[in-house]
Amino acid sequence: MAGKTIVVTSGKGGVGKTTTVANLGTTLAKKKYSVVMVDTDIGLRNLDVVMGLENRIVYNLVDIIEGKCRKEQAMIRDRKIPNLFMIPAAQTREKNSINPEQMKELCSTLAAEFDYVMIDCPAGIEQGFKNAIAGAEIALVVTTPEVSAIRDADRVIGLLEAAMLKHISLIINRLNAKMVKKGDMMSTEDIISLLSVPLLGVVPESDEVVVSTNRGVPLVHDRSSKAGAAFRRMAARLNGEENLPLDGDGSHGFFGRMKRLIWN
Amino acid sequence: MPPPVQVKADRNGFTLVPDPAASLDAIVAFMDERLERSRDFFQKTEMTLDLRTRPMRTDEISVLYEKLYEKSKVKVVEVRLSDELSFSMVAERRTPRFVSKEACVGPENNAPLIVRNTCRSGVRIVSPSDCVILGDVNPGAEIIAQGDVVVFGALRGLAHAGAGGERTARIWALSIEPNQIRIADLMAVPPQGVKPAPARFEVAEIENDVIRVNCL
Repeated sequence: MAGKTIVVTSGKGGVGKTTTVANLGTTLAKKKYSVVMVDTDIGLRNLDVVMGLENRIVYNLVDIIEGKCRKEQAMIRDRKIPNLFMIPAAQTREKNSINPEQMKELCSTLAAEFDYVMIDCPAGIEQGFKNAIAGAEIALVVTTPEVSAIRDADRVIGLLEAAMLKHISLIINRLNAKMVKKGDMMSTEDIISLLSVPLLGVVPESDEVVVSTNRGVPLVHDRSSKAGAAFRRMAARLNGEENLPLDGDGSHGFFGRMKRLIWN
Repeated sequence: MPPPVQVKADRNGFTLVPDPAASLDAIVAFMDERLERSRDFFQKTEMTLDLRTRPMRTDEISVLYEKLYEKSKVKVVEVRLSDELSFSMVAERRTPRFVSKEACVGPENNAPLIVRNTCRSGVRIVSPSDCVILGDVNPGAEIIAQGDVVVFGALRGLAHAGAGGERTARIWALSIEPNQIRIADLMAVPPQGVKPAPARFEVAEIENDVIRVNCL
């Protein structure tokens, strides 16, 4: 059975691609699917830090592609979840040390063994981006509610469409419900009407994300976190499990509903 | 592995069909080699570029065009984008044998260029006549037409109507909220502040040497 290969991309840097990969990968692995996360940001790797696995790296992506090791040697098993693996990027190499054909081949061999192959794409639309999307069949475009990030997301969606990728979904990260209400930030509806791609989920802005990144433990392990819950719902939707409502304003639950009833 | 480009010959001349997986470099290298090998045979011929299976960006097309012309004076005269859509690369009228059935609408080749999807950032569309967009034009996209620009959607990017200096050209859109619009040699930016949503359609045209946007 062939698994799904999913690339997480954005165009602009710092919008939360790596965080999204780490959290979605972890959630899917917790659901007992076998998951491998591939960091393709050669020269600027981050996924290992977010997963808290930076001190276990021996081999990397470029070593696999150059045939210096078997792919099993470069896969690092997660500290908590046995069916979650990560392939780190090389830190001392350049983006052009691999090419799209090699990436395509690697993705298809990984997809044959795993249920999910999550690819962390570098920022930009150059060689690294082309490598990352080469082997993917599903693309998740991450954006924040800022004009610059949305402009870049729009460009990236255009490039993904030109590369004949059929399944493109949007993730809106760091949405601040209070600012949207005051009219200081673009709302989910505005962003969707501009980008016109289906929405996978909305992650509310939260300080917990920074803490979890620094600790190297993905947020979804924390059951009380709202942002973590958003990632869990997204993973469920990605998995085609359920048709959950898209509550983007962060005010769900009993008190949220009460508050909304009173305010409106 | 298939070659990066197939060169097909029929009674209308030569057609180049790039392979969907081939990179621009591979295509250019292959054509270089091919033209070098049979230099006399291809010398000064006119070719059609068939992009139905391998879409190309305008800059890629122009690189290929220039390389072919530089090497052996091979001219790409027509680019076929889909079954319905093809456009001419030559400014002067083409000889009848090169006019495809689709382009033969009027006495002159002035059929509008129709784009059937949303134009996203980074897209640049240049039309030798009118241009009709069935979708939005997002910020960062550029639509340049010799004639009118008609957008069945929101115009948020850049539109230039009458690019050849035609001052009677107009820009039509369901909503005009662009970065910038240009008609002929004039340029306009939208006023600051929020604008009420238009009732139906908006049109931008030149009145007394300024571009005005009116609601229909």
